[in-house]
Amino acid sequence: MITLYIDTSSSYLYAGIVKDSNLLVEVKADLGHNLSEMALPKISDMFEKAKLKACDINKIIVVNGPGSFTGIRVGLTIAKVFAWSLNIPITTITSLEAMAASVDDSRLLVPIIDARHGYVYAAIYDGDNVVLEPSYIKLEDVYKKISSECIFITNDSIELDYEKWDYTPNILTIVNKYADKKEIHAHKVNPEYLKLTAAEESKLNAS
Amino acid sequence: MKDIYILGIESSCDETSCSIVLNGTKEIATTISSQIDIHKEYGGVVPEIASREHVKNITIIIEECLEKAKMDIKDIDAIAITYGPGLIGSLLIGLEAAKTLSFIYNKPLVPVHHIAGHIYANSLEKEMQFPLLALVVSGGHTELVLMSDHYSFEKLGGTLDDAIGECYDKVARVIGLEYPGGPKIDKLASIGNPTYKLPVPLNDDSYNFSFSGLKSAVINLNHKLEQRGEEINKADLAKSFQTVAISSLINKTKKAIQNYNIKNLIVAGGVAASKGLRDEIFKLGEELNVDVTIPQMKYCTDNAAMIAAAGYYAYKLGRIADLKLNSKSSDKLS
Repeated sequence: MITLYIDTSSSYLYAGIVKDSNLLVEVKADLGHNLSEMALPKISDMFEKAKLKACDINKIIVVNGPGSFTGIRVGLTIAKVFAWSLNIPITTITSLEAMAASVDDSRLLVPIIDARHGYVYAAIYDGDNVVLEPSYIKLEDVYKKISSECIFITNDSIELDYEKWDYTPNILTIVNKYADKKEIHAHKVNPEYLKLTAAEESKLNAS
Repeated sequence: MKDIYILGIESSCDETSCSIVLNGTKEIATTISSQIDIHKEYGGVVPEIASREHVKNITIIIEECLEKAKMDIKDIDAIAITYGPGLIGSLLIGLEAAKTLSFIYNKPLVPVHHIAGHIYANSLEKEMQFPLLALVVSGGHTELVLMSDHYSFEKLGGTLDDAIGECYDKVARVIGLEYPGGPKIDKLASIGNPTYKLPVPLNDDSYNFSFSGLKSAVINLNHKLEQRGEEINKADLAKSFQTVAISSLINKTKKAIQNYNIKNLIVAGGVAASKGLRDEIFKLGEELNVDVTIPQMKYCTDNAAMIAAAGYYAYKLGRIADLKLNSKSSDKLS
């Protein structure tokens, strides 16, 4: 079983190829504004390093958000086209699940992504229990939901009242954890923005 | 000569489209998903919504196109993609899909300028003859482009302010027609009379256009009539506007044909669907004895067949990109 992992929900490209519980190759690169330009060349390099062809892949795990709207779509489009054209299973996980899976800690895990204007995308996990589903929420409201010792996980430079762990994904752990997650048809794989567009919001407010 | 099949993908605005074209001239199959009904509620295209729709549709559109053509990607010679200009978030979906297909199947990736696509929509009608003059008229463009050969584009002139299609939509909104209003103006004009006096736009020696003055004149006229409590005759206003706008296009086009010894006049872009414009263009062609080509209605609006057609000529000229190809919201036609 060879799995391709892709996460472009921030300005970083996180990608890796896992073969039977071994991480063959990975990329963790802050591509900034060059994400759309460089994501595929970097993935292509990864295949070359692993001496694999695209058609050797048996499964895709892709992060479908929340995070940068454009970023999510870049990785998701690549993943959808891979899965559809090779006719292989694909499954999605959220960026927040990927973040929590990368930390080995018995405290409450609080992955957060800055969504600006005092808002964050956040979730709270207590082991396998979900205390807070992935949400678009005010940071102060996240604090209110914390009942015991916790650790925040983030890639952003947000001021926090709690201990913070700088996110770097453990791709092997993530892939292993979600290896058996139910697959979706490639056509049905869609981003999880957790937020309406500004146009939809103002229309909703007007009505 | 070996047959060449190009798969084209277009996602520059609010249409997700895929097409397979043979030798740049014969459409094998095309699929288009239009978002017009979604954006109608907002009075225009909302970029973030457009991007969200593209990502939902992209693999479905490509699959349906291949099924319709009864072909496999392996049978394709190259993949042509609109890299720009357009809405950046929209462009990126088609681009990433095209790059991924190019990577997986090791197929050449051919970047196509959206306007080159509109011009080459005419190649699906008839072989292009040079020197050729292209009148490019759409929601974002109004220009006269001289072509001495394939992919040799020389812009003679263009709009100094609003594009003609933008102006059509604006006038439509002023008189209360639903988005997209351009086609409705064209339809209304066909039953109206040019009774309202409107200023003639930029009548000079250049090949440039200017429509903002005309647009303002319509807005002011409408405002004045409303204040006076006079009922506006929408059909007459549409006709008055269209007459002046089209005569400006025709005058400059005529001059360019005469000065550059043009063999083939083509019209490209969404406004090429305007019956008012089509009629006048054919008249001009007859008058000057120039071959006129205008795309069928279905090739006037954004579609991937025109991208695959343009992609064929680009591919023949070796205009191939690598996986670093990026989308550009604006770029010169070259």
